[in-house]
Amino acid sequence: MKTRDPITNLINALSKFPGIGERTATRLAFFVLKEPVEFANELASALIEVKEKVGLCQRCCNLTEGDLCAICRDTRRDPTTICVVESTPDLRAIEGTGDFRGTYHVLHGVISPLEGVGPDDLHVRELLDRMRPGPDQQATPVTEVIVATSPSVDGEATALYLLRLLRPLGVRVSRIASGVPIGGELEYTDRVTLSRAIAQRRDM
Amino acid sequence: MLLEALHLHHFRNLSKVRVEPHQRFNILAGDNGQGKTNFLEAIYLLSAVKSFRPSTNNASLIGFGHEQAVLEAKVERGGYERVVRVDVSERGKRVFLNENPVRNLSDFFGTVNVVTFGPEDIYILKGGPSERRRFVDRAIFNAHPAYATEAMNFEEILKHRNALLKGDGYDANLFAVYDEQFIDYAASMLQRRLDFIHHFRPVLERTFRAIFDPDFETEIAYEMKWPSTSPGHDGSLDELREDRVGVERLLQRGLEQSMREERQRGFTVIGPHRDDLSTTLNGRDVKTFASQGQHRAFVLAMKIAEITYLEERYHFAPILLLDDVSSELDRERNRHLFDFLRGREQGQVFITTTHRDYILLEDDVSVYRVQAGEVCPC
Ligand SMILES: [Zn+2]
Repeated sequence: MKTRDPITNLINALSKFPGIGERTATRLAFFVLKEPVEFANELASALIEVKEKVGLCQRCCNLTEGDLCAICRDTRRDPTTICVVESTPDLRAIEGTGDFRGTYHVLHGVISPLEGVGPDDLHVRELLDRMRPGPDQQATPVTEVIVATSPSVDGEATALYLLRLLRPLGVRVSRIASGVPIGGELEYTDRVTLSRAIAQRRDM
Repeated sequence: MLLEALHLHHFRNLSKVRVEPHQRFNILAGDNGQGKTNFLEAIYLLSAVKSFRPSTNNASLIGFGHEQAVLEAKVERGGYERVVRVDVSERGKRVFLNENPVRNLSDFFGTVNVVTFGPEDIYILKGGPSERRRFVDRAIFNAHPAYATEAMNFEEILKHRNALLKGDGYDANLFAVYDEQFIDYAASMLQRRLDFIHHFRPVLERTFRAIFDPDFETEIAYEMKWPSTSPGHDGSLDELREDRVGVERLLQRGLEQSMREERQRGFTVIGPHRDDLSTTLNGRDVKTFASQGQHRAFVLAMKIAEITYLEERYHFAPILLLDDVSSELDRERNRHLFDFLRGREQGQVFITTTHRDYILLEDDVSVYRVQAGEVCPC
């Protein structure tokens, strides 16, 4: 709800960020107040721009400004291997290793019946579409899908579900090695561990 | 396993406690409502990262008017000293081991081992099946810390599966995934429990004979009251503890046979979350047929056997937390309890009481007076 006090409004808006409590939000709000007006303009337009211009890549559901994301546009990437991740931060973490040369698919979540998240709420259909090359899809068929969802209960269930859908299509399905700590998120896993987890992936 | 020092800040009514306990017996004496049980609860919390009081929220653990409670202990095990700390705020608990934050509780569990014995344990056989499952689960947790994570994962799978059963849509692949996961986690739990009962049974029998009557036959058995356990299943449950394929088959059949019922009722009706223990004395059910004296002796034997089982099979002495049990036991049983405690070669014990005379211990004792949240040696 909006109040009449602009500072309170800003603090309320800022405290909606994950990990930002009211105290930090207050500090940030007063920082904005103290800075010259250019800073506020810049921040405001950056916020609006990101919402207006960034959408989902038509192929892999990564965030992008165009129809296809930079990775899908890059012809040097191997389109026959797809790494399935829960989120864009996870994609970035794997990109950070510099070792993976295939393409990605971003689910934007994991299956969780308890929270009412089913396969239809994730971008599973788009992943299946990539398995049967159509006129506007890539020409080379996919040979391997690496499932890199987190080793949590939900990540594991999501991986098993994808396996059930993908295996009948004749594609090799593998799972990243569980060197990643249980319950830990890919996003926070160090590069070496992550790199090793992908290299030591196993067929499901 | 030794608690060398305990510091508490704003934990319930214990606003500041600094104690260096005796390595054998520590008696906490005081009237009711002064904070004796809170003291034991703090030690338990440093072991299990949750309270032994069921459904306790974080806010209730924090002293009135404060933002967080801090519990810290120096523990020694196998010659190694470690500092464990749990910070409780309304938002959650944070755990530290030697000052380093613990990300995964599975890395922490097993650092502090405790066995509790309180008035509620006297009713373990009279209460519902969940009381008896908790007894088994706590004993297993002490021996196999990873069990806590396994049990938590099982609970999570179970909740998801129940949500699917309640939902309207039917996705065969999705159901298959949760069946597979359910069987996987349930099988691990069942095997751990069957293995525990297998090794626990003779210890219990021996203990009961020693403290009550050598002519009594005791029996304790794991009980699955689901349709698939009787027909079609040949061989005893006991054999399944080493037969993973057999357990999975049993669960698979259980799910198949209860499919109609679980769709109707909207939850999973078979599995380790529904099981129980049966206990008999000379072939008769303890809960229904035993005298009060026999019943209490049986419960006491279960607790003593739990400790003995851990010491004999895993070679470590857990810290014992005895909460005002003497007032619940008759004179004879009380004497047996203290004979047992004195007879252990080692092992640290914390005992609360309203009456120092109930506590039949003279040597190797520190006594603390607990009054209005203050814990003072005396
Ligand atoms: Zn893309």
